Amino acid sequence: MAFVLEAREIGKSFGPVEVLRGIPLALKAGEVHAVIGENGAGKSTLMRILSGHLQPSAGSLAMDDAPTVFANPVAAESRGIVLVHQEILLAPDLSIAQNLFLGREMRRGPFVDDAAMNRIAAAKMAELGARLDPNTPIRELSIAQRQLVQIARALLAPHRVVIFDEPTATLSGVEAEALFLAIHELKAKGVAVLYISHRLPEVKAITDRVTVLRDGRHVATRDAAELDPAGMARLMVGRDMANLYPPRTPAPEGEIVLEARDVAVPGYVETASFALRKGEILGFAGLIGAGRTELFEGLVGLRPCRGEVRQEGKPVSFRDAAQSMAAGIVYLSEDRKGKGLLLQQDLRVNLTLAALSRFAKSGLVAESQEWAELDKAIAAFDIRARRKEMLAGQLSGGNQQKLLLAKMMLLEPRIVIIDEPTRGIDIGTKEQIYRFIAELAAQGRSIVVISSEMPELIGLCHRVIVMKAGRIAGEVTGDEIAEDPIMFLATGVHEEEVVEMAAGAA
Amino acid sequence: MTENAIPTTPPPERRRFAFDLRAASPFIALLALILLGAVVNPDFLTASNLTNVVTRSAFIAIIAVGATFVIAGGGLDLSVGSMAAFTAGLMILTLNKLGGAETSTLLMAMGVALMVSAACGLFNGLFVTIGKIEPFIVTLGTMGIFRSLVIFLAAGGTITLRDSGMREMYRPIYFGSVLGIPIPVLAILAVAGLGALLLYKTPFGRHVVAIGSNEDVARYSGVPINRVRLLTYVIQGVCVGIAVLIYVPRLGSATPTTGLLWELQAITAVVIGGTALRGGVGRIWGTVAGAVILELVANIMVFSNFVSEYLVGAVQGSIIIIAMLVQRSLQRAR
Amino acid sequence: MKHVILKSLAVAGLAAGLSSAAFAQPKTVTIAVSIPAATHGWTGGVVYHAEETAKQLEKLHPGLKVIVKTSPDGAAQANALEDLMAQKVDALVVLPFNSDELTNPAREVKKRGTFITVVDRGLKDASIQDIYVAGNNPEFGRVAGKYFVDNLKQGNVVVFRGIPTVIDEERVTNFEKALEGSGVKVIDKQYANWNRDDAFRVMQDYLAKHPKIDAVWASDDDMALGIMEAIRQSKREDIKFVLGGAGMKDMIKKVMDGDKMIPADVSYPPAMIATAMNVTAAHFYGSAPMRGTYVLNAQLITKDNAKDHYFPNSPF
Repeated sequence: MAFVLEAREIGKSFGPVEVLRGIPLALKAGEVHAVIGENGAGKSTLMRILSGHLQPSAGSLAMDDAPTVFANPVAAESRGIVLVHQEILLAPDLSIAQNLFLGREMRRGPFVDDAAMNRIAAAKMAELGARLDPNTPIRELSIAQRQLVQIARALLAPHRVVIFDEPTATLSGVEAEALFLAIHELKAKGVAVLYISHRLPEVKAITDRVTVLRDGRHVATRDAAELDPAGMARLMVGRDMANLYPPRTPAPEGEIVLEARDVAVPGYVETASFALRKGEILGFAGLIGAGRTELFEGLVGLRPCRGEVRQEGKPVSFRDAAQSMAAGIVYLSEDRKGKGLLLQQDLRVNLTLAALSRFAKSGLVAESQEWAELDKAIAAFDIRARRKEMLAGQLSGGNQQKLLLAKMMLLEPRIVIIDEPTRGIDIGTKEQIYRFIAELAAQGRSIVVISSEMPELIGLCHRVIVMKAGRIAGEVTGDEIAEDPIMFLATGVHEEEVVEMAAGAA
Repeated sequence: MTENAIPTTPPPERRRFAFDLRAASPFIALLALILLGAVVNPDFLTASNLTNVVTRSAFIAIIAVGATFVIAGGGLDLSVGSMAAFTAGLMILTLNKLGGAETSTLLMAMGVALMVSAACGLFNGLFVTIGKIEPFIVTLGTMGIFRSLVIFLAAGGTITLRDSGMREMYRPIYFGSVLGIPIPVLAILAVAGLGALLLYKTPFGRHVVAIGSNEDVARYSGVPINRVRLLTYVIQGVCVGIAVLIYVPRLGSATPTTGLLWELQAITAVVIGGTALRGGVGRIWGTVAGAVILELVANIMVFSNFVSEYLVGAVQGSIIIIAMLVQRSLQRAR
Repeated sequence: MKHVILKSLAVAGLAAGLSSAAFAQPKTVTIAVSIPAATHGWTGGVVYHAEETAKQLEKLHPGLKVIVKTSPDGAAQANALEDLMAQKVDALVVLPFNSDELTNPAREVKKRGTFITVVDRGLKDASIQDIYVAGNNPEFGRVAGKYFVDNLKQGNVVVFRGIPTVIDEERVTNFEKALEGSGVKVIDKQYANWNRDDAFRVMQDYLAKHPKIDAVWASDDDMALGIMEAIRQSKREDIKFVLGGAGMKDMIKKVMDGDKMIPADVSYPPAMIATAMNVTAAHFYGSAPMRGTYVLNAQLITKDNAKDHYFPNSPF
């Protein structure tokens, strides 16, 4: 059987640095093929070669057994290979339909045919399980919805091979289910799907074969049926990954350090009350748009918010982040690139930005002290940077998250709120971050983890509060912390029903 | 790009003496222009001519140092030219009102000038931060306001420093020199030196770059956005004031055309100097080089015998674009 | 501006009340004056003279109303013309920003039967105007040129041009024509935009570039002031004199006081707007209708006649 797309011993070097060596990869029509590996394993580079964004330094590509070269992404696309990017590449002020057809607008005579484009856009979005008005500007969509628009845009071109680069990184369970159904349909139509993800359970669930990369080399290609997530992790990391999560500690009974009573964030949270204890890791679950992020942005003064907030028994109200930081509360945004780090500035500037006053000596910033602090952070958080003058934007996602953690830890906070701590981060780095969160709690700090990844809430938290549509829907503790009760609180239905509903809708 | 980290991470090293071509390129362009000038006319390369040029660039250079703060912080100030004319007008009127040729009078008028310009900057800054109006619109508005105020003060004519004794006492601030260096050049060095210290070495400077780089990140990092932004406009105002202190002794007058188009020259100097117009990067010394480049191009035009006076503008524009092109290609070649 | 109109209404009303007893109803006439806003010393002078003349005329002719309107640029002036027409004026005195932009708006005004007086810069179509009052730009250049030929006889002259316009072109061409055949040579000319700062800059460059300059044609008094500073700074002794133009009061004063560097000036009086307004008023209140072209010749101002050109109260 001919392979639709084949990589034959592909290698790639950037200058003296070899990032890929001798990678074989063969895609069959009608299969879903996963590529997994840690950050830095070379997955994205391989994808960029397959989609014509980069030229291989060694080896060759073939389509239908005939050797081929893609001069650029347009050439690859004309041969039916489309890449769904991990980053959102949409024009925020244009509508969904305008974005879907950007650069390939449908025309009627000299004018664009908005009616036809809107119709098709609505249909395509519905196929992905999103019922949205095609006239909605992208700016008004959630990150997850934008991701779906991006996928719909890629699928608009005629395609034989679709490459998904971390499509579910920003999606919640229900939205991901809709995507899986769409992938299933692509497969049924005979399209080859290449799927990159850090979420191993979903790799297990939806793919047929799995190729594992480690340090730019090919480790194995196996049938998905032969592997379980732990086995995949072992192949990726090269050692046993049974203990992804740190050992569970008993729920702390210490004093309450932060308490919210009837807190409302206009437009997002109607009312929310909860309490956080010293040394506790408190999870916040819920669908995207449930108001989790906005609740905590409100609490730390980044958004207008009403209601009563008490820190260590005393009422507090923060007008901006500087005030909450001074009170020992830090918030790490889910949007690392947009709100967490200055991508165009170097590591040192990013590291010390929030705690800059500590580095000021008689009005001037003590640079030598900053460099020393960077050395410490690089060691303590295992930040892998080629050079110390690197820009934050040049770091991989996992290392950016470590840098953001290091930056906020300089403030020596007593309460740490982490929004989506491991979004888009490989499994090795995830383990480090989980371990780190557990250590913080052991030191007596209190942690809030907002996450859409159910396993990490289950594996990490002492207690999980579930939000639904701007309200607290309930709370699960101890042995109750499991997928089904959380899903039930978040959606109002049990998980099997969700899958059925999603299936019925498609 | 996220996967380009090398497989085995070597311990990161800091390059201590990395030659930053991007920061150096305005100075390379400056040298290239001086060479061009020498080729065009041998008389160009005399000490007195080059001194004249650098001295003349003082107003734009000093104003542009302030503009570097505003632009690095993601803002824009179009009102500096009108602000300079308005401040100069008020300063001369103060001198005329007080009369006499005492040092105290002069110091008082200088104080008035600095206060007026700082207040103008504060005015701009308040509308941008508290009023949340686009800086382009705010400063376009104040550009018109300050300009009309000068015309009003001058009743359409010229505001002239009347007291000839004062005129003679004040004159050396532009025409005088210390140890052979003209005072305006010393002023450029002092203002740029202070500016560089402020921008590169203080928490405030870091905050300016942070809000210009990404305002959201700065906000989430607890940076007092409004205060920092407001201060950039006040610094811009003070720089305009300092430029006026050197401008007034030169011709001793302010007219409705004083400072016309200075805002564009200042912005051009800032951009030639390597500061990003979208914010997030500020290069003080590059800005100074940019201001000297602008003055030098005009100087070379007068010195060239083969450019028709009708085409001076076209050649000037071309030189600036070519200089930028050379700079950009130097940066890419890195 | 507003108080001028209000006052004039009061005066007109009072005059009407007084005169109706002795005479028949006084003739009510409205004259609109459209001029550039004061952005340069010379236009500042125009505004000053226009406002002074408006006051005088209204006092002189009961029933006359003069509306003075300034505009910052050509497009604004075109709009201002439309607004003035809405106020039903009998005559329009206009000093246009430029010929091209304002010819059509002025023609529209003419079509309503309004009496039109054009000042200084001519319109494209001469049939629009009833009266044309102008300074003589070619003559301005010629008088200056002749002064150099007579007083310098031979030597090197540097020339400062204003803003690239027809006015500037006419002046400079005729200046150079007047020098033809003499020993006076123009060794350099550059635009300095009728601006003192620019003139200072260009003069510094001239001084660095040319080792010997015998005299300077500044062509404008504003520019002459910048030039003087640059010469003073250079401490050069080779420059015998600087000839400006327009008749700024500071410069006239220097001529009167016998300043060696400023021995003369060439007039191009902003008061020409006053002439135009007077002639226009005379058309309505005089015995005979007025028509035709009035050219105010550029005069050489020297120590002898400087007194006649000195207006200490004018801002210019």
